[in-house]
Amino acid sequence: MPAVEVIEVKRHYQAGATTVRAVDGVSLTVEKGEFMAIAGPSGSGKTTLLNLIGALDEPTSGTIRIDGVDLAGLSRRQVADLRRDKVGFVFQAYNLIPVLTAAENAEYVLELQRVPRVERRKRISQLFTELGIGDLVDAWPGKMSGGQQQRVAVARAIAALPAVVLADEPTANLDQVTGQALVDMMHRLNHEHGVTFIFSTHDPMVLEKAERVVRLVDGKIASDQRKGETARQIAAEAPAAR
Amino acid sequence: MLGLLTIAWRNVWRNRRRTLISMSAIGLGLALVIIYSGLIARMMGDAKEQLDNAGLGHLEITAKGWRANRSPKLAIDDLDGVVASLPLPPSAEVSARLLSRGLLSSARANQAVEVHGVDWGQERAVALYLREVRQGAVPADDDAQGILVGEQLAERMHLKVGHKLRLMVQRADGEMGAALFRVRGIFHALSPSIGQRRVLISRAAAAELLGADRGAHQIVVQLERAADAAPVAATVRAKLGAELEVLTYAQIYPIFEAMESLVNGAIVVASVFVYFLVGLGILNTMLMSVLERTREFGVMQALGTRPGGVVRLIIAESFWIATLSVVLGLAIGVGVSWVGSRTALLDFSRQMGEGIEFSGAVLSAVFHTELSVRGVLLPALYVYVMALVVALYPAWRVSRLRPVDALRAT
Ligand SMILES: Nc1ncnc2c1ncn2[C@@H]1O[C@H](COP(=O)(O)OP(=O)(O)OP(=O)(O)O)[C@@H](O)[C@H]1O
Ligand SMILES: [Mg+2]
Repeated sequence: MPAVEVIEVKRHYQAGATTVRAVDGVSLTVEKGEFMAIAGPSGSGKTTLLNLIGALDEPTSGTIRIDGVDLAGLSRRQVADLRRDKVGFVFQAYNLIPVLTAAENAEYVLELQRVPRVERRKRISQLFTELGIGDLVDAWPGKMSGGQQQRVAVARAIAALPAVVLADEPTANLDQVTGQALVDMMHRLNHEHGVTFIFSTHDPMVLEKAERVVRLVDGKIASDQRKGETARQIAAEAPAAR
Repeated sequence: MLGLLTIAWRNVWRNRRRTLISMSAIGLGLALVIIYSGLIARMMGDAKEQLDNAGLGHLEITAKGWRANRSPKLAIDDLDGVVASLPLPPSAEVSARLLSRGLLSSARANQAVEVHGVDWGQERAVALYLREVRQGAVPADDDAQGILVGEQLAERMHLKVGHKLRLMVQRADGEMGAALFRVRGIFHALSPSIGQRRVLISRAAAAELLGADRGAHQIVVQLERAADAAPVAATVRAKLGAELEVLTYAQIYPIFEAMESLVNGAIVVASVFVYFLVGLGILNTMLMSVLERTREFGVMQALGTRPGGVVRLIIAESFWIATLSVVLGLAIGVGVSWVGSRTALLDFSRQMGEGIEFSGAVLSAVFHTELSVRGVLLPALYVYVMALVVALYPAWRVSRLRPVDALRAT
């Protein structure tokens, strides 16, 4: 079963008389274990698409399945539970909860899942050690650097073993070196634990590390390229045809 | 970690100053309600319990029709039989009186007075001023010439202990009766009008003067608790039958009930006002703190927190603010009330004299407070109810936001 299936999805915004086609007929399948980037110019719909996949927003039309579950027709509560169990998020602005320590932030989803405390603690301390942030366990977000916060955010996103981790420009607030290191860490988690990542980025250096790159232009998929393959043009909407 | 309450507690202290300011405002409001209603409750309680300030008693037993026209002819003839048969609680105090209007004359002056013919020992228990004889003493039981006068009357007529007086009354047979008395003592009454108008002689002397049998016009019963007046009156009434009239203080002075509902109304109005402000305070605090964290609630929802979880967190924060405020409010409110239940909280005796008279009852102008569990817990409970109700609005607003919109907030 694929981690994510997106079928003919559109997300249109009504801005007065004009319609903004932020996502305009996207179909996409992401298998488990993929390490995929979404690229494209500003305003091409990257964020909108990630929000749709993460069930934070609802499509105007089309179908989205996460780990086989169709998002259409779920109640707000069911959608919340689906995000809790199947989706991890890494935000551009880290967005750690400031009144929780690093470990408590990472534990948050596990607590929502009612994983017993001892079990939670064990998993989080293992994870922190593995991610090289073992010394941050009791640190407060306000006292951490951006790179440290984003590592904790990654720990929070993967702690509950979601079907997919969505990261919208996770390195945009970090300097080059720190950003590279973060993506390397994500890549390692993908390699060693098979965590599925979908991230968006403007940074060519980050893009280079992706195993698959989906390029959006004007809300449509312009190209979908796997590492090693030559660029596979997407049928009718190929940029050459424009 | 970390239940909901822990996270809520930490959130409450994110803006320390704001929390301290609102908990002070709410706490002071609560303290005010506790102190104010304690003061009023005590005042009303005192007014009813302390009817002996004016010698009124909680029950009055008279011959039928006496209260309507106060005819000296309407007396209770079989006084001893009636008193002996009264079904009263053991703590009740009973005193019988012969009453009359009269004219008191000294060598220099005349004054209209109301004459109370009493049995000194019994009367002491129902009339506070008999315990306040400041010059001289209460006459002996067999002293047929002894008379007690109030301070004001003594001053007006230049009376001293030992002075001779002539007291003239209208007798039961319509003739005028007069006798000579000697001032044995001068009493102090909280009420100036009592001090100025009331004179006391022995019931035997009064009977002689009025040309009546040794009966009584009025039997006054002072109970331990004013609240018992109605049930006790009912049993007494059933026992005595239709020849005698049994009235409670509330029937004789309906102003007590009126005062009480008026005063309770005033408490309600003041409390509603205070709680309205308290509610606005909590609402303001909660709205500010919730709206500036919109994005954070978006993050929590993205991580899988259900809408109900967000609502619960906000209510938990409101619960903490209420708790902090209640702790402060109880500390101040109970503290002041406790002090006020021991020593005078307000003392108006300099402005108003030591007694405030309303409708015959006399209230000490020194105010204490009443400290009761109910009077403290109920106002505190309302703060919680208020906090809960008021938290619902910001909670509802945030939980309604779609995560994608909440996350976009700055
Ligand atoms: N809430 C909204 N209301 C109206 N238009 C919107 C809204 N959100 C996004 N858009 C529009 O949809 C289009 C796609 O926006 P989106 O944020 O998905 O692009 P992006 O690829 O993430 O851009 P960037 O690289 O700058 O982050 C843009 O034209 C944007 O203006
Ligand atoms: Mg974007």
